[in-house]
Amino acid sequence: MTELMIGAVAYDPKVVPIWEGIREYFRGAPVEMDFVLFSNYEAQVSALLAGRIDVAWNTNLAYVRTHHATGGACRVLAMRDTDVGFRTLLVGRVGELARAEDLRGKTLALGSADSAQAAIMPVHYLHVEGLLPGEDIELLRFDADVGKHGDTGTSERDALAAVLDGRADAAAVGAASWDILVRGGEVPPSTLAPLWTSPAYAHCNLTAMPTLDQETSEGWVTHLRAMDWADPAHRRILELEGLREWIEPQLDGYRDLFDAVEEQGLAARW
Amino acid sequence: MVTASAGPPWSEDDEPAGRYDGDTLGLADGLMFALDVCLSEIEPGQILELTSANPAMVHELPAWCGGTGNELVASGSDGEGRRTLFRIRRGNRAALMFADQPDWGLVAPDRHDGFGTTEWLIGRAGEIPAHADPSTGFSPRGAVVETGAPPFPYTETERDHVWAQSVASLYDQAVGSQWNASTDIAWDSLPAVSVHLERAVCQIMTHLAENEYAALYVPAKFIPRIHPHFTEVVLFLSTQVVDEARHIEAFTKRALAGGGGLRYSTALTQASLQSLLQQEDFSQASFLLSVLGEGAFLDYLSFVERYAPDPVTADIARRARVDEARHVAFGVEHARHFLASDPDRAETLRQSVVRRASFLADASAGSPHIEEALVVLGAGGIGPGSLGEGVRAVRDLHRTMHRRRLGRLEQLGFGAEVAEEISALHTPNFM
Repeated sequence: MTELMIGAVAYDPKVVPIWEGIREYFRGAPVEMDFVLFSNYEAQVSALLAGRIDVAWNTNLAYVRTHHATGGACRVLAMRDTDVGFRTLLVGRVGELARAEDLRGKTLALGSADSAQAAIMPVHYLHVEGLLPGEDIELLRFDADVGKHGDTGTSERDALAAVLDGRADAAAVGAASWDILVRGGEVPPSTLAPLWTSPAYAHCNLTAMPTLDQETSEGWVTHLRAMDWADPAHRRILELEGLREWIEPQLDGYRDLFDAVEEQGLAARW
Repeated sequence: MVTASAGPPWSEDDEPAGRYDGDTLGLADGLMFALDVCLSEIEPGQILELTSANPAMVHELPAWCGGTGNELVASGSDGEGRRTLFRIRRGNRAALMFADQPDWGLVAPDRHDGFGTTEWLIGRAGEIPAHADPSTGFSPRGAVVETGAPPFPYTETERDHVWAQSVASLYDQAVGSQWNASTDIAWDSLPAVSVHLERAVCQIMTHLAENEYAALYVPAKFIPRIHPHFTEVVLFLSTQVVDEARHIEAFTKRALAGGGGLRYSTALTQASLQSLLQQEDFSQASFLLSVLGEGAFLDYLSFVERYAPDPVTADIARRARVDEARHVAFGVEHARHFLASDPDRAETLRQSVVRRASFLADASAGSPHIEEALVVLGAGGIGPGSLGEGVRAVRDLHRTMHRRRLGRLEQLGFGAEVAEEISALHTPNFM
């Protein structure tokens, strides 16, 4: 029997039922799986590079780091449908700022420094739009849960709270995070509104080392992608993990993050 | 981000299935609920057109559509540039998945005299399943349950194992016949009676109360085992539980009211009642408790009412008997329904009586102190002139109980010989 060891970061208690559910789903499949949880993405990437796990459920930043470390040889096996077309919003107080340009001379709250959606990508895209964060815009950083690459959402909540209480004029948050807060009733009516949307970029993926046997990984991915939203047992897991279907890798979406990592000198700290 | 262009990028002939004007509302201001409602009114694959004058909509609507399993297919200006039109295609992978549609537009018939429980069999709500699905959980019969809901551990999921033809009207009668043991009884007019009579009354009240605990606990034990789609049965049994609670209250208060107090409870009575509580099959438990036990109680309570030394005791016995008659009616109706679909089931009911009797093998006669209290009550005291009449009255009571038991059993289709056997084996404790 072949079995893959998958790594995931325990950013929330729900990570346990998610991966136990997926492992259960794989029971009896041609390629089965087990999983190991890490407390941060740096440890997970190290484990992948050292061959202690076969596949890592990586954030975009953890993928870029793996890509750097393997000279681009690592392989991406699959993504969630929701990992494509990820975007960052700038959220301000209702009726104040109308566009990103209005942030000039104002304060922007950012989430964790290692969160692509709440720090790295907004800084990059604002730069592209001609606004130099730190120079044209004052930055107020909330570095909560560093090591979890923004997964906990804590730093985005902190950034929004800063806008609500006037410490900042806008906050950078993932569009999906904003939607979760809106649908969860956490945004008080008529207080905050998004004013800018970033270009699309990609979020998480399942990353493997180039040494992983092709046939094994294909067998595993085929079964993974057969998870079906219409099946209540699968839906429970898909819902918790925030997707409706697993899709083929679409790597174009990581290009901007590679640029951002380069431009912000992040790789030097790895 | 979906960019607004001048004029909508779709043909004017391309009519959406639904429209909503959100004006300046943001999603968090309530618009998301309106969108949910409007999308639920169209079919998956159809288009809802949202008009919005909220500048944030272009930023927050795409993620909302993705997050709710719908698709933002296009957007465009209304032509004047003040409003944006969004076209949302309802997805077929919604967060909540239902295999069915709820009813709509079915109105209950004639409601001039109220809305009886016999009249609520309307549409899906009226479909009493032969085999109930445990994964409909606590949903009321007729509701549409999301697929994938967890199964509940009900043991009574077969209609024939719990149903009774007239259960809905028995429930309505029960609801209309509730009384208050604190205030409906003329406690202030309880007269003093002789010591011997008061002692007999207190002993009988103690015995009645302990039996009523069994009559409360047994249906209460089965309620969580019965599938809620046998709603009328669950509701009726709930009234039975409340009835028995009231009887326990009234009998206990009567024992305490006259200065006597609660008296003895025997091991035999406890063993007999425990053997009821140990029943694990609803039909058998109902047969033992309601057809045989509460059936005997009707005669027991008639006796107490007739020979009560005071009007308070008589009133309590009469009120309790009226309630008990409903429980017996349900028990008989259920046994009839249970046997109708398979006459061989009569044997399982007979065996439940035989098993219970063997459990109580050392109890060939009733408790002597209950017999004594009944004789004293029937005689109006212990005077030598009347005791003989008391003894005769109690013998008559036993004969009446036996005769009526036979009548109920024969009514259910038991042959004379089996009915005779069942009645003879029934516990001497009455219940």
